[in-house]
Amino acid sequence: MTIQAEQLHEQLATAVVELDEDRTKELAHQAVDFGLDAWQAVELGLVAGMDRAGKLFDQEEYFIPELLLASDAMYAGLEILRPHIPIDTSAERKSKVVIGVIEGDTHDIGKNLVRIMLDVGGFEVIDLGRDVPPQTFVDKAKEIDADIIAIASLMTTTMDGMAEVVRILEREGIRERVKVIVGGAPVSQGFATKIGADGYASRAPAAVVLAKKLVSEKAAA
Amino acid sequence: MSKVSFPNLKLTVELEVGGSLREALRRAGADVEFPCNGAGTCGKCRVKLAKGQEAKVHENAHRFLNEEERKAGYILACQATVLGDVTVETDVPDSEGEGLRILSEGNSLDVELKPWISKEFDGASTHLLAGAERIGLEHGDTTAHQYGLAVDIGTTTLVSTLLDLRTGKELATSSSLNPQARTAQDVLSRIKLGSEPAGLAKLQREIIDELSRHAADVAQQAGIKPEQIYEAVFSGNTTMLYLAIGANPVSLGKYPYTLTREGAEHVPAAEIGFAISPEGLVYLPPVMSAYVGADISSGILASRLAEEKGVILFVDIGTNGEMVLARDGVLTATSTAAGPAFEGMNITCGMRAGRGAVERVALSDEGIEIATIHDAEPVGICGSGLLDVVGELAAHGGVDKNGRFQYNGSSPDKPWKDRWDSVDGKPVFRLSGPVYLSQKDVRQVQLAKAAIRAGIELMLKENGLTPAGVDRVLIAGSFGFHLRTESLINLGLLPREFAGRVEFVGNTSRTGAQALLLNHPLRGKLHCVTRAVSVLELAKDPAFEKIFIKSLQF
Repeated sequence: MTIQAEQLHEQLATAVVELDEDRTKELAHQAVDFGLDAWQAVELGLVAGMDRAGKLFDQEEYFIPELLLASDAMYAGLEILRPHIPIDTSAERKSKVVIGVIEGDTHDIGKNLVRIMLDVGGFEVIDLGRDVPPQTFVDKAKEIDADIIAIASLMTTTMDGMAEVVRILEREGIRERVKVIVGGAPVSQGFATKIGADGYASRAPAAVVLAKKLVSEKAAA
Repeated sequence: MSKVSFPNLKLTVELEVGGSLREALRRAGADVEFPCNGAGTCGKCRVKLAKGQEAKVHENAHRFLNEEERKAGYILACQATVLGDVTVETDVPDSEGEGLRILSEGNSLDVELKPWISKEFDGASTHLLAGAERIGLEHGDTTAHQYGLAVDIGTTTLVSTLLDLRTGKELATSSSLNPQARTAQDVLSRIKLGSEPAGLAKLQREIIDELSRHAADVAQQAGIKPEQIYEAVFSGNTTMLYLAIGANPVSLGKYPYTLTREGAEHVPAAEIGFAISPEGLVYLPPVMSAYVGADISSGILASRLAEEKGVILFVDIGTNGEMVLARDGVLTATSTAAGPAFEGMNITCGMRAGRGAVERVALSDEGIEIATIHDAEPVGICGSGLLDVVGELAAHGGVDKNGRFQYNGSSPDKPWKDRWDSVDGKPVFRLSGPVYLSQKDVRQVQLAKAAIRAGIELMLKENGLTPAGVDRVLIAGSFGFHLRTESLINLGLLPREFAGRVEFVGNTSRTGAQALLLNHPLRGKLHCVTRAVSVLELAKDPAFEKIFIKSLQF
């Protein structure tokens, strides 16, 4: 990799973590003009910047608005670079996640953050939205052969629906095929363990780490 | 001599020129507390003078009052000497506890005595009537004893007020913590527990047993028997009412949050095991939705939202921030999930408003001023102190617009810069000794205040209004009563345009319940009003997320 490419990647990452959408776009155009590898510009520039923003979020330095602004910058850059990514690079099979907020609950900002971070983390994410019945999670996961079902709940009163997803998977004999991860303010590791979920994450960036770990475990099994 | 008038007490007292306003309050029998004993260090005795009377008092000090409040006429009673005739506009509590006052425009509003319960003596025995219906018979002439109980069922606290239905006099008050909080802290946990028959029975027994104790307590204080209490009004949020009458709350906990009971009804006291008269009745005010309950209906009544002209925003700041927007009497309501941060929960050094809680914080060029409840050694921080410190940090550059601590560099000259400290390797703002604010605490406050601000913005948007178009802002609730406008605005919990339009109206659930108890035609009128209220479901609005995220900023 040339020094010029390395510098530009660093500048892209910095622009994203500094929430500067205009600068990110400008740099993405530069990368295209200079004929740099667009895939590398995404991975080593945009995604690296978003990772840094995620770390700052984990440390409570950044908050929801910053994380969303960083993702706005990243997606703006991605839009410019995507047409220049060779088909064979981007066609690699990504692990698939079905995500949604459980039935009875309509609070979805946390779920949206997790969706963005999973997307950045290289997952193909199918977002079912909010107030999603347990059966719908399972049906969608079967339909697309998902690796992971990610369920969010913000209300104590709706958490039982998460357990219901696990029960349906067991009843349909496909519990081994898909990992279940849960999150949201009233959810805890203890609850996740109790309902037989495969994992719990307290924050959006941690959900990506968890999802990657579960996918690699699944591949090794 | 100077004359000091208290319109809400319908009383004027005389005072030597140069006398203290504190003395005038004492002579008027006003129940204003002076926790710092007149040292001017607690800010508790703030009162508002009528417009243009600032020159008629001399202020020795005005700590805890910001410029805007001072312009509005607020002074500290203990620090003010009276030089001429003045009128104290604040509704000062009366230590005698007589008469009913409904906070409205800072004036009292009396209701006509028309209780639902009455008695008729036929020469031998006394008939008990509910409306026109005879519901009981007592030996001899008992017409002298007709009492009612106004009950405010809060998620955290319970307040019962005994009223003489024949005179409207407030006879006694009893208050305590809601015992359900020990079993299940928040509303959703109680809904979850109450969704099972055993859990519902337990929660109902807890609340009714406690309210029966209140009834016995106020009866004893007033020298009557609890059996002479014939009617009670239960005001509270929808879940609290369901649990009190033993109605299954399951549908309140899940979208679309369907109501199975809508209030505006009587329940026999005996049916729910409430120990007042065996013939006694409990009236439940109307509820508007799962999260806009009878307490807000009472608030609408107490603040005359349906009658007043202009644009009035009523906000009850708490775990659930309920709000009502009145536009020439046309009402829109909504609620937002602010979470428990305002109660000091989920906050590192958070605590309820008890002894030693930091309740006031002021940053200035001189440094930092802190006041605690009962002037005790600081042991934690309660909701009002929390909003103060975060608001002050936001106003003085201690946090940036996104809420991040600015501990290195950008506030080097501030006299409070030595307050930055580190706990477990993370930066904190130390208030005093063991009490500090963490970055995570600021995040909790951001989430809570953004929920309320987003609700306000969306309700205004729905009505085609902007913040500048709001004439009056009423902050209700006993928590709201301890807040400062300046902090609410510094935080961005309220738009800056609201400055100078904010009134703290106290526990309107309680005053509304009392009015409903004393005047039964108000019940039907209120029901007509609440039926016409359009309740907004914020989560359904596609603009909510964007507005909420914008509202997270300072």
